[in-house]
Amino acid sequence: MDLNIAPQDLAFRDEVQKFLVANVSKDIQRAVELTSAFINEPEISIDFHRALHKRGWSVFNWPKEYGGSGWTAVQRYIFDTECARYNAPMYNGAGRVMLAPVLMKFGRQDQKDFYLPRIAAGEDHWAQGYSEPGAGSDLASLKCKAESDGDDYIVNGQKIWTTQAHKSNRIFALVRTSNEGKRQEGITFLLVDLDSPGITIRPIHGNGGDHEFNEVFFDNVRVPKSNRVGEENKGWDCAKYLLEFERGGSLSAGRVRAQFTRLVNKIKTHCPDDPDIIARMAELGTDLDAMEMIDISILSALQSGGNPGPVSSLVKMRWSQVRQQIAELTMDAIGEHALKWVVERPLYETLQLPEEDEDLLTAAPRYLNYRAYTIFGGSTEIQTTILAKSMLGL
Amino acid sequence: MDLQYDTEQTILRDSAEKFLAGRYDYRTFQKTADSAAGWSPEFWSEIAELGWLGLPFAEDDGGFGAGAVEIAILMEAFGKSLVLEPYLPTVVLGGGIVAKLGAPAQRQEILGPVVEGKSRLAFAVQDQAKPTEAKKTANGFTLSGAKKTVLGATMADTLLVSAQIGSGVGVFVVPVATRGVTVRGYRSVDGGRLADIELVDVALPESSLLGGNEQAGAAVEETVQRAIAALSADAVGAMSALVVQTVEYTKTRVQFGQPLAKFQVLQHRMVGMKVKEEEARASCLFATLSLDGSAERRERAVVGAKAKIGRASRAVAQEAIQLHGAIGTTDELSVGGYVKRLLAYEMMFGTTREHLRRYGAIISDPETASHGLLTVAAE
Repeated sequence: MDLNIAPQDLAFRDEVQKFLVANVSKDIQRAVELTSAFINEPEISIDFHRALHKRGWSVFNWPKEYGGSGWTAVQRYIFDTECARYNAPMYNGAGRVMLAPVLMKFGRQDQKDFYLPRIAAGEDHWAQGYSEPGAGSDLASLKCKAESDGDDYIVNGQKIWTTQAHKSNRIFALVRTSNEGKRQEGITFLLVDLDSPGITIRPIHGNGGDHEFNEVFFDNVRVPKSNRVGEENKGWDCAKYLLEFERGGSLSAGRVRAQFTRLVNKIKTHCPDDPDIIARMAELGTDLDAMEMIDISILSALQSGGNPGPVSSLVKMRWSQVRQQIAELTMDAIGEHALKWVVERPLYETLQLPEEDEDLLTAAPRYLNYRAYTIFGGSTEIQTTILAKSMLGL
Repeated sequence: MDLQYDTEQTILRDSAEKFLAGRYDYRTFQKTADSAAGWSPEFWSEIAELGWLGLPFAEDDGGFGAGAVEIAILMEAFGKSLVLEPYLPTVVLGGGIVAKLGAPAQRQEILGPVVEGKSRLAFAVQDQAKPTEAKKTANGFTLSGAKKTVLGATMADTLLVSAQIGSGVGVFVVPVATRGVTVRGYRSVDGGRLADIELVDVALPESSLLGGNEQAGAAVEETVQRAIAALSADAVGAMSALVVQTVEYTKTRVQFGQPLAKFQVLQHRMVGMKVKEEEARASCLFATLSLDGSAERRERAVVGAKAKIGRASRAVAQEAIQLHGAIGTTDELSVGGYVKRLLAYEMMFGTTREHLRRYGAIISDPETASHGLLTVAAE
């Protein structure tokens, strides 16, 4: 057992660092830094995504047959950590991390051939059509319905909390195709073009000031049946499979450590002698170390052919809490600087302030936006219920 | 990077758990704790037979050349079974400092009988009010001072005593029977034995200084850190036992017409305990795997682990009592034993709060804070 990076991996790290220096500009780093939302906008990430694609690295997490990089677990860790340290943008999570594995497992060959390369190249941006006004944690109670009409479905209903739907061109949606039997057995997984007639997208502004969420209305939207993934009424299998990847599909350690390092810097500047703040920082540091070890254990298990198992719920739950606590402590550390509020977004376009001041403006919005971390992707309470069953046999 | 146990480690874990499950139940723990000596010579011979007493020592010293991971595996099993025998003081602390500093002859003389189960050690490292001092004499040293909270001293035949020699530090081999040595043993909260030790003009030959080394401060520090890592594994074992027992108990205890385990509010609290156990285990593994790294890395990992596992163990212990209800406040069930084991962990070798403060100072450096846990092998 060891935590060593092998010499050949050091060469890889140098390669990644060189790539980042060449492909992430100061402006983009600043834009990432000033993104108070939990996902940066595609405008920030698209050039980086294209550069990665050109290099063959954009879908490094995919199996090699679909264009994955074939990297080892350690190389994935290094790539992720270096991207986070360098403030490289996050890109295309819904398509690359969530939808792609579903297409690989449940999709038809023609669907794989069409959609996967477009995700890899950054040509499509996907939104996730899961939640509805009456179906949040209880996802299976969803009502948005798809009725058969020849070769098409006619979709009517509403999705909500659709992250970046206004920046996306496609949406994968869970729709109801049957009211017979168990609720889970009447759900179908559909791929929908967001420019289809009958779709209306209405923004929802978070109290952190950012526009990330939307409502998506479907009014007699015609969707070809060929856009169905898997069989009719079998969409719940896709839905659950996708959630595994949403929850545990990527490493968080690099990003959260970068967030923690910014916190440490803030404390150094604003309150280096506050014992309460330092104690909370220390507690968070030990939480972060423990969680990073759990991340690495998952990598190690994957590397030796196992799968992460129930721990993906633990990881989702605890990383989201740690992120929130770092955001919270950052705000506490800068104190009254958190009072100043700028309404316009995105901040990287509107702000004209010295670097050290503009950064302070993200603390309160980030604190507020990050409250969503423990709600989306299965709330902490849902994960806890899953863990009671999977880890404790209750 | 590899965090999977190899075959031998898996066998060690399984055989240790199996042996202890059959040999060391809660009743055995209680009897041992309440006995005059506080340990069982029979059990000690049995684990000598199993080869556990020689596990970490070099083959030249009669050992098996195993590492920190193997020690952690055994310690976790000891924590699960509430083993009271002085493995940590003899093998990890006393044996550790002898292996680190001792000249070949000293190592053979001291470690040989340890491996065979014939000798037990204790490392008197913490001073009471002021540092213990060693003054050079014509044919050796005179040792004077007072040590506190010495684990296993009442069970040991040989003490290892750290002392200042001028501006340096050395570690002396002091047979317990040496004139001028007084060991005042007392029972600790967890049923173990600690001692305060008084040293009044203890005359020692020159050969009693381990390795003739008068600059042993770093080795002493490292040995204590290895002990903290090992003790952390023990705490993880105790915590995991508490989680298992609490889950089992709530499955059988019926109130309001159904087992307590059916209540979601209680399920969620038990998940909270389990998550803390998993994080504690991860933190312990980081400490264990950092012991052979640089001094900076070792300190960061061990100090952080003590702070993290201390907090986790306090919370898990309190929840275990609460979910057991009234019976959890007694010594009737093993819950009481584990809770006190974890309490002792928190207070030993520096409290949770002290370690949190130290970790805060370490991590206040942004460069250190930014370092992930994977490391370049050569570092």
